[in-house]
Amino acid sequence: MKPNIPIYITAACQISIQEPLCDKWMSEPRLGLSGYNEAIDPVFKEWMSPGEARRLGKIMKRAVVTSAECMKASGITMPDAIITATGLGCVKNTELFLTDLCTQGESLLKPTQFMQSTHNTISSLIAILNKCHGYNVTYAQGDMSADVALLDAVTQLSLGDIKTALVGAHDEMTPNYYTLLNRSGYYGHESMVSSGEVAVSFMLSSNADREALCLIDDIAVFYKPATESLRAYLTTISNVDCILAGYNGKPENDMLYDNIISLRDNPDTPVLQYKNLFGESMTASALGLYAAVRIISTGNFHNSMYRSGSVPANINSVLIINASGNDISLMKLSKVSL
Amino acid sequence: MEQLINQLKNEIIEVLNLEEVTPADIDNNAPLFGDGLGLDSIDALELIVLMEKNYGIRLTDPAQGKEIFKSVAVMADFISKNRTK
Repeated sequence: MKPNIPIYITAACQISIQEPLCDKWMSEPRLGLSGYNEAIDPVFKEWMSPGEARRLGKIMKRAVVTSAECMKASGITMPDAIITATGLGCVKNTELFLTDLCTQGESLLKPTQFMQSTHNTISSLIAILNKCHGYNVTYAQGDMSADVALLDAVTQLSLGDIKTALVGAHDEMTPNYYTLLNRSGYYGHESMVSSGEVAVSFMLSSNADREALCLIDDIAVFYKPATESLRAYLTTISNVDCILAGYNGKPENDMLYDNIISLRDNPDTPVLQYKNLFGESMTASALGLYAAVRIISTGNFHNSMYRSGSVPANINSVLIINASGNDISLMKLSKVSL
Repeated sequence: MEQLINQLKNEIIEVLNLEEVTPADIDNNAPLFGDGLGLDSIDALELIVLMEKNYGIRLTDPAQGKEIFKSVAVMADFISKNRTK
């Protein structure tokens, strides 16, 4: 879908397995990570008092921080919508709650863990803290969660229903859940990138902004697309300086990306990857978007992201591809030129 | 009783995740809710769970909590008289 009005990304902040809230991943990233990895947290006390933080799990604190930083950077303190993506929700609290349920029965369950074991807790918390009573939705759509949340935001901005949207993607991982996902084959392939944790927030706006980080030119989410339909769509967004794809080292995953890229009428377009830096998780594609936004706005990326082709000196547009099973999402970003 | 009060203070700090609060900061007779520690209704539920889990006391009437949770001293007194473990 090509928005019928310009839609800008005016701020983007991340907490991940790379240094948080900065672009150090571009120059001095943490490399060679494997297996289970937790995000690097900032000092939360700088954003909230111990009293405010005491009930919040780490995923909530991270969401509060990235949201606050996004609002600060964009100057938008009251977004019209808060749209959140999460694959697993507050899985740490869910795990604690279920463990208590199994070991102690139903009578001794802790209310805080119960309240924070639901997926939509994150979006609600951001709304409550900021007294933002607008549109508030959480998308939990597996590996497509972030893509669908962004599609919703872009659709509503395009329709004119809202002017600004705080879009976040948040996921945490526990050693236990990591073990389960290993057994299921989601993680665990010997050549695969590490697991990751995600807290990324973006401010989207339809207000013209010369200082915006980039424009969203196109966004599309497909389920089991026919090859010719996908090829036709790719043709409409073929004019990009590079592709940023979710290669993760698992052969069946990487083959999906190779197949999609081969459908383009310009298969020689340079290709970059990002999961080697940010790890794999259900909302990792949001970190792909974050990386693309920073690449366009700063012109830099780390050499380890390079996968194929010859990347031009100036990257003014990026096509982000996220693929998982039968699901594919495409998003094209470009530099702001007002 | 003093030992129970100290134990209770530590348990409250842990269960309610009261970072930067030490047992010495909690006055035995200060109100737990409102002006004192500033706890709220969710904390009351956490304290009810704590009483049952650690001391085997099950509060059947939620209104009881208002009296029992007046202060750490009142809470300790109630626990010492009603505990089953």
